[in-house]
Amino acid sequence: MTAKKIARRDIADLLNEWSREFGVFVPSRDEGVAKWARWGGGDAGFLEWYRNTVVPPKALFFPPLEEMFSFQKDGDGYHVGQPPPTEDRWLVFGIRPCDARALAVLALTFKDGYQDPYYLARRKNGVLVGLGCTRPYESCFCTSLGISPTDAANVDLMLTDIGDDFLVEAVTDKGKELLSKTSLVQAATGADEARAEEARDAAGARVTRKVDSQGAHEKLRAGFEDKDFWERVSAKCISCGICTFLCPTCYCFDISDELVKKQGARFRSWDSCAFPLYTKMPVENPRREKWRRLRQKVCHKYEFYPDSFDVIACTGCGRCIRLCPVNWDITRVLSSLPAQEQLRLER
Amino acid sequence: MAPTDCLPMKNGIMEQRLRREAKALLEQGKVSCVIGFEAGSLKFTTTPLITGDKDDTQRLVISPFMANNLSVFLTGVKGRVAIVAKGCDSRSIVSLIQDNKVVREDVVIIGVPCSGVIDLTKVEGLVGKDRDEIADITRDGDKVLITVNGDKRECPVQEVLFDNCLACEMPTPQEYDILLGEPTAAAGDKEKAKSREKINSLETMKPDERWAFWRNEFSRCIRCYACRNVCPACFCERCFVEETEPPWVLPIPRWQDSLMFQVVRNLHVAGRCTDCGECERACPVGIPLRSLAREMYDIVGELFSYRAGMDKEAPPLLACYEPTDVEDFIR
Repeated sequence: MTAKKIARRDIADLLNEWSREFGVFVPSRDEGVAKWARWGGGDAGFLEWYRNTVVPPKALFFPPLEEMFSFQKDGDGYHVGQPPPTEDRWLVFGIRPCDARALAVLALTFKDGYQDPYYLARRKNGVLVGLGCTRPYESCFCTSLGISPTDAANVDLMLTDIGDDFLVEAVTDKGKELLSKTSLVQAATGADEARAEEARDAAGARVTRKVDSQGAHEKLRAGFEDKDFWERVSAKCISCGICTFLCPTCYCFDISDELVKKQGARFRSWDSCAFPLYTKMPVENPRREKWRRLRQKVCHKYEFYPDSFDVIACTGCGRCIRLCPVNWDITRVLSSLPAQEQLRLER
Repeated sequence: MAPTDCLPMKNGIMEQRLRREAKALLEQGKVSCVIGFEAGSLKFTTTPLITGDKDDTQRLVISPFMANNLSVFLTGVKGRVAIVAKGCDSRSIVSLIQDNKVVREDVVIIGVPCSGVIDLTKVEGLVGKDRDEIADITRDGDKVLITVNGDKRECPVQEVLFDNCLACEMPTPQEYDILLGEPTAAAGDKEKAKSREKINSLETMKPDERWAFWRNEFSRCIRCYACRNVCPACFCERCFVEETEPPWVLPIPRWQDSLMFQVVRNLHVAGRCTDCGECERACPVGIPLRSLAREMYDIVGELFSYRAGMDKEAPPLLACYEPTDVEDFIR
């Protein structure tokens, strides 16, 4: 299928069209904080300021808080009710390639072994419309993870900013269906495609933070017991949940029950391996010390996930760097991992 | 302008002295660890440097971006420690001493006369650019020079300092072992008034408006506990929100639970909070937590004529009782 294009000024109309069929979510600002919100009409002003959201779009598929089911106490037992219904068909407009890849990474866990009905249903009913980056952050390092800031790999429909227009490419059948229904797009010219290519190259060049992501696996495995190293690099970590909660690939959750009088609900909410309580068990806590928790986070992303699924559970979105209150920088830590030879000599 | 009034130069001189002093303390075995700031990995940032290696002391910096309150790390390190402290940080250290969390003799306080820390969110608001798209921010005296796309813009420093810096009562530590420079002046009334603008606007709201305001703010809370974990006054080994049998507040990001957590946290740090502003700065979703913290700070001042971290010999506020204490709130 040849590429199409849509005028920048027509994006709002396109979103209005889609809103008749889908619940449409777009980048939005609440008190200056970029997040995802339902498209409410008006102009698509976010196109001018949007770089990425603080809370990643994983929150739309795996919310910070969701009710798994309700229950009523009656007589001696409990009657279990259905979870609240989720959106039938919905569309995320403007997801960045790093975050789209992260959803694919998350899916590996949510359909491995057990099928997570909550995540998978939202994924099945959802359509992803990607928007390539033109202004990556200083903290971004997606190109080190094999992702380009304009990558179309994990979305249904991909848009690339070429000035007054966006180049539009259907990637999946869902994307093709979306395009076939609208009259707002027209065929792109060779010049449009050339401009898109330029935009892609320029965006890639703007990602300047680099890390040797492939070499990390062996170094992490070899240095797992290097307590001195992990103690040193974890010293300034304050063990809050920012880097895990706002990581687009972190998926740990906690389950809480609440019973008020006879009406109750079971909730699941984000949990974090940074919290000491996360691994607390009746007799012991295998990760009581901060360095063990921090090692777990890094190894999970760059060693254990590749072992299980052959993919690194980091997409270089940079949130953990730019939102950290102490500027704990995973790229610095990965770059300072002791080389294997050095470890062998020390042994 | 005389060269000695030039802030970058003053900072440079303090930085050189800091590196010398820190190195000597480690070399002479007077401390086993130094806690200070080094250059961060992003523009206009510093990051905590916690080290026992004397060679690392060459990385220590003094800059207008030293935002963290390093005293939060004191209870986590063993042995005798040297710590870089701005005025507000020194008050937190004193407060920790009052609470027997830190032994005075085990800490070498390296005091930094502080001229205020630059709030990058305010700079962003002023120039309409994100921090990583700003080429340069230079503080010089009462002015700040901001360079964006080759254009230089000058503004009074009060426009871009953190709100808590505008209200600072102790820019230069009173409690110190080494002081790196000449004391700086405390905030004037004009700055203090500016620092309360947000709180004043909350106070003029009708109760239901204010309730709606906080409801909206706490709807963004993700319960990451960064506000608690950066707070030196939040030193409980186990926070009440971690109680599970029975739970006091569920660990779920429902706005009511999150608001309850923050209100109880504010009560817990009453009389310990020094208005360092870290809770608000750390919040990834921009909840104006200092408005709550500062209001509590002022209530403590009003009711008990007490300001946290001013006197290491004073008993902690909530661990003592005076017959003259107000009690008309008991009904």
